[in-house]
Amino acid sequence: MENLLKFFTEIGKLKKMPRRGWVIRDIKNPESIAEHTFRVAIMGWFLGEEKKKDFDIEKIIKMALIHDLCEVYAGDTTPYDSILPKGKKKRRELMKTWPRFSEKEKKNLADKKYKKEKEGLEKLIKDLPPKLKHQVKMLWLDYERGLSPEGRFFKQTDRVESFLQAVEYWETYKKPPQKPYWDQAKELYDDPVLLDFINNMDKRFHHTKKPKE
Amino acid sequence: MDGKKYYLTKQRLQELEKEHNSLISFEKSKLLGEEAPKIFESEDMNPEFLSFQEDMSFLRSRIKELESILSNHELIKNPPKDKKNIIGLGAKILVEIDGKKDEFTITGTLEANPSLGKISNESPVGRALIGHKAGDAVVVSSPIKTVYKIKKIKYQSS
Repeated sequence: MENLLKFFTEIGKLKKMPRRGWVIRDIKNPESIAEHTFRVAIMGWFLGEEKKKDFDIEKIIKMALIHDLCEVYAGDTTPYDSILPKGKKKRRELMKTWPRFSEKEKKNLADKKYKKEKEGLEKLIKDLPPKLKHQVKMLWLDYERGLSPEGRFFKQTDRVESFLQAVEYWETYKKPPQKPYWDQAKELYDDPVLLDFINNMDKRFHHTKKPKE
Repeated sequence: MDGKKYYLTKQRLQELEKEHNSLISFEKSKLLGEEAPKIFESEDMNPEFLSFQEDMSFLRSRIKELESILSNHELIKNPPKDKKNIIGLGAKILVEIDGKKDEFTITGTLEANPSLGKISNESPVGRALIGHKAGDAVVVSSPIKTVYKIKKIKYQSS
């Protein structure tokens, strides 16, 4: 019980950790990592129900709940981090487009992120009972590596939640710029349920006013 | 699985076959109460497989998934010489987007990983680029248009 108590205290920190993607885009009072986790768990469940019959919804919900736990120690990272300029004006300019890298740079960034997050997760779960420790690790690997249809589906759902949040912020604050999110979406999503969902987002949010950038 | 075809590169197919064989022999040894097979101690082996030691249900579901993929796969082959200038599955392309260069490889859904530049042939960008040639400018429609200027197309030497 002592180990569980320590674990719950550590993951409680995610309730107050703002998501870095919003911080670098100057969003006021941005959502926390735990807030993102809450909605993506529901999205994974409900959108997962649209998939074929033998889709394991319980696995998706558990995967959603643990997918960002590593960030307690690894912190939140964004694709912009390695090229982030210091000045606010330059940063704002950078946020107007999706960052582009060479194949080698992409591999380096992905390897670095994976290593950091894996170490963060291992540190966090090291004192959990073996069965739970193993379950958390396997669900995280499934999400990271797309080892099952559920893992591959949830990886995309995770980005859809952030995308929805970006559109909601845009509706309220007129930022962040929307182009990078749409560009990323069109390259990243190939799941028919999620593609249908983002088309609905487009209709719902842009029926009267389309974003200019 | 839903009976769909999984397009795989030769390299990925070999990796999945190796993983499948290793997991099958590991499962057998577990059932017989033997020690972990030597392949799991090899440096070539992904150390993450060791996690399966603790939980047979994960092992079984991964084996089932691999069997489904291996029996429904189609190998991505290079196109004939006269079609190597056209984007298709397996093509590695250099594009210019918003004045910046980017590199993509068009893969099947199983190998897609946009963080590594591997774009699924079933994604809107994958679908839009397939069939185009170097010099083409492909417009991908969304609330804000983005133009993909195709600079170079390459296929891996087979």
